[in-house]
Amino acid sequence: MDNLLVLTVALPLLMAFLLPIVYRFSHFIAGLLGPIVLLFLIWLTFCAAYNLPAETTSFSIVIGGFLPPQGIVFYVDRMALLFAFAVPLVTLLMWPWKSNLDSEARPRQLSLLMVLVAASSGLALSGDLFNLYVFYELVAVASYGLVINSQMSASYVAAYRYLLLSAAGSVLALLGIAIIYFQTGTLNLAHLSLMAEKLDAPLGLSAFVMLLMGFGVKAELFPVNSWVPEVYLASSRRVAGLLAGLVSKLAVLIVLKTLLTMFNHTLAYDLLLILGVIGLVIGELSALKATDLPRMLSWSSIGQLGLVFIAFSVPGKTGMMAGIAIMLHHMLVKPALFLMAERWGQQLVDLKGAAKSSPLMAALFVVFALSLMGVPPLPGFWAKFLMLTGLAEVGSSLSMMALLVVLLMMVIEANYLFRVASLLYDRQARQQSSHGFINALTVSSMAAVLLAATVFIKPVSEALDVIATQASDQQAMIKITLGSKTGDQK
Amino acid sequence: MQQFFSMLFLIGLLFLLSILTGLLPFATPPMLIGQAIQQQAVDATGAANLVTSVVLGYRGIDTLGELSILFAASAAGGLVLGKTVRAKKAASENTGFILQAGTDLLFPLLLVAGLYIVLHGHLTPGGGFQGGVLLATAFFLPVLVRPGTSVSHKLLIVIEGLAGASFIAIGLLALYQGGEFLQPFLDKGLTGQLLSAGTLPLLYLAVGLKVGAELAGLLANLSTEQDGENDHVA
Amino acid sequence: MLPEVPAMLLAGAVGLVVIGLGGLVLSRNLYRLLLALAIAEAGANLLLILAGFDSYAVAPIVTDFSTSALPAMVDPVPQAMVLTAIVIGVGVQALALAMIIRIKQAYGTLDMAELKSKMEADLDKSLVMPGAALIKAERESDNG
Repeated sequence: MDNLLVLTVALPLLMAFLLPIVYRFSHFIAGLLGPIVLLFLIWLTFCAAYNLPAETTSFSIVIGGFLPPQGIVFYVDRMALLFAFAVPLVTLLMWPWKSNLDSEARPRQLSLLMVLVAASSGLALSGDLFNLYVFYELVAVASYGLVINSQMSASYVAAYRYLLLSAAGSVLALLGIAIIYFQTGTLNLAHLSLMAEKLDAPLGLSAFVMLLMGFGVKAELFPVNSWVPEVYLASSRRVAGLLAGLVSKLAVLIVLKTLLTMFNHTLAYDLLLILGVIGLVIGELSALKATDLPRMLSWSSIGQLGLVFIAFSVPGKTGMMAGIAIMLHHMLVKPALFLMAERWGQQLVDLKGAAKSSPLMAALFVVFALSLMGVPPLPGFWAKFLMLTGLAEVGSSLSMMALLVVLLMMVIEANYLFRVASLLYDRQARQQSSHGFINALTVSSMAAVLLAATVFIKPVSEALDVIATQASDQQAMIKITLGSKTGDQK
Repeated sequence: MQQFFSMLFLIGLLFLLSILTGLLPFATPPMLIGQAIQQQAVDATGAANLVTSVVLGYRGIDTLGELSILFAASAAGGLVLGKTVRAKKAASENTGFILQAGTDLLFPLLLVAGLYIVLHGHLTPGGGFQGGVLLATAFFLPVLVRPGTSVSHKLLIVIEGLAGASFIAIGLLALYQGGEFLQPFLDKGLTGQLLSAGTLPLLYLAVGLKVGAELAGLLANLSTEQDGENDHVA
Repeated sequence: MLPEVPAMLLAGAVGLVVIGLGGLVLSRNLYRLLLALAIAEAGANLLLILAGFDSYAVAPIVTDFSTSALPAMVDPVPQAMVLTAIVIGVGVQALALAMIIRIKQAYGTLDMAELKSKMEADLDKSLVMPGAALIKAERESDNG
């Protein structure tokens, strides 16, 4: 029953449509429907991953019974399953249990969250270019709505600026898709991979740049990441954590899919490297100047995503592994930090001595910070180390420069993170604050996962190796997608 | 200074796009999937309108995504605009006899046109989205012309939710019957008849109702503002 | 007849996109920015639909059921893609309009530069809270 994985898209959408009606009957049941669906999806994707027999098995789901390349396929390999599993999990961890929204707004917010889950799962699984575009737009519109925070008028302005930038990017992405369709006549990623020679420069490269700018908006890529600090500050911390931790990774996934299938040129990789380096530098330097925790986390997020792009600019399995590792690590750490910022979201000077009233959270902050910096033996170190070895292996002058920049930025990162930590453990206490029980529980469990990954680093890295090898295997994808005979065409 | 650089950027963009379009193979496109669909679509789906067979058959899940985008935009719009207020200006603005009588006459015509376009989506150009917009207009015009009438938001939400859920339910039903999600079932009938193409007209009906209810609600929301001012936005 | 795409349409599509993106870069009024976005989207849709277009071909609708041979038809896939893209554009534009209305109500201006500084000021204000007020605010607002 592999094709049940379509439920990762269909079921949350069904719930989203029905929620406003159910909410009118019972607030309580409607509030529970979301988490129930998420739990089911977690179980479903986990079973699908568990049932994959051999190490290199992947399969494709033919949507609607129309065989590719005319129809749409979902290509399910281990990386897709990994992200399809992460989507409901992270959303459940960041779920807004308590809300002060009124009875009109609350069902809308819950529906938008369900839509976000459906679209993100679609992004993880889809193997069709235009399908990816549609799901990407869906994520965008859902996020515009979730950013709105009616208590802060500034959120409307931030959301509008975000909308304009994202929509302009989508125009570019549509132009890129038009160019690709003109040249090749197909939209299926596997089929496009077969036609990659038709997508040579200048048309192919222009199409790639347009797609990069379009999808890069959510991936916080330079130069289309100017929306990040405003939006993460204006929205609620949970939404910010969800956007920074989850949605950005899926946007990176799209860029990766298009890069691997269609644009396997050195020019494309170099462009990713340069944009990644610029993003890293701007992100870390601005985080250094930040005077409050949410802004610091936003800029740090831009920096980390710059690192992800640098990692993926290394062709081959090493770069893939490093990129996935950094993405997973960030997906774990950033939402946890944003949850902490719910209580600690003011000016940094006000955080003085907060460790006295919340010792657990302060300690966990230190753990996350150390992993973010890349201190061994925490997983953050292994991820960065993988990337640095990959850069060194490439050996070109560009990658050597990138290596130096990364090392330099690690120093800067350590600087501002230690500054926050020392403020936390300061002698004088400026304020009393305690985090809610749910927050403390969530953050502690995320920290537990991080520490478990530290202890079991070897199996984790072996699993990542398998995932990365399979993800870079274009030939297998083409064979499985286009050679599939599942479903009969009536 | 910034204007100068912006103009430079635009001229460069124009230049680049012109070159790119010059390079594209117009009039001799590869049309790989296009040609295959043209040949197989009538047999595969039974719809005379090949675009409908693509929209609801070959790329059905794109249409589901598109539906959801409208839904999300409507929900987000509702979040932005805040509490729905009953339009306060009752008889203060008299829009005149011609407008009111004209709208009353147009209402059934718009309904018929909208439903016709929705139901014949698999035979002629049109379909759920286009017809849905007409339906939404039919229900929204009275609100514009007689300020103070309110649409029944409760009814609209119920229609919207049930229509959307039925689209997905039809898709899931196909899954339950052993096929794939959104696989067309039901008898294909004779191509060119109104009752043909299996589940495709049903899907378009669901789409039309959902879009109609959604847009009517969104437009009604947009037109009733809290302080009742109509600001000039030039 | 050899297939043909009128150059006017191509020029129009490119021109619309450039005008739209140019408007986005140069305008300061929120509403003009939205209009520029709409123009750019229209241009992109036009360019997409020109794929597989042929002035001498007919619409992809089967009207003659007597034969199974089809006349020269326009490619149906870009038509479906543009249908989706237009609907997406409509949704986004409607949402943007709602935001514009709310912003005008909240801030009283539609000038982007003014709004940017006001937004930054508001965001900074939301972060500075005196210590004692913090505990009270925590107990009151437990929003997600």
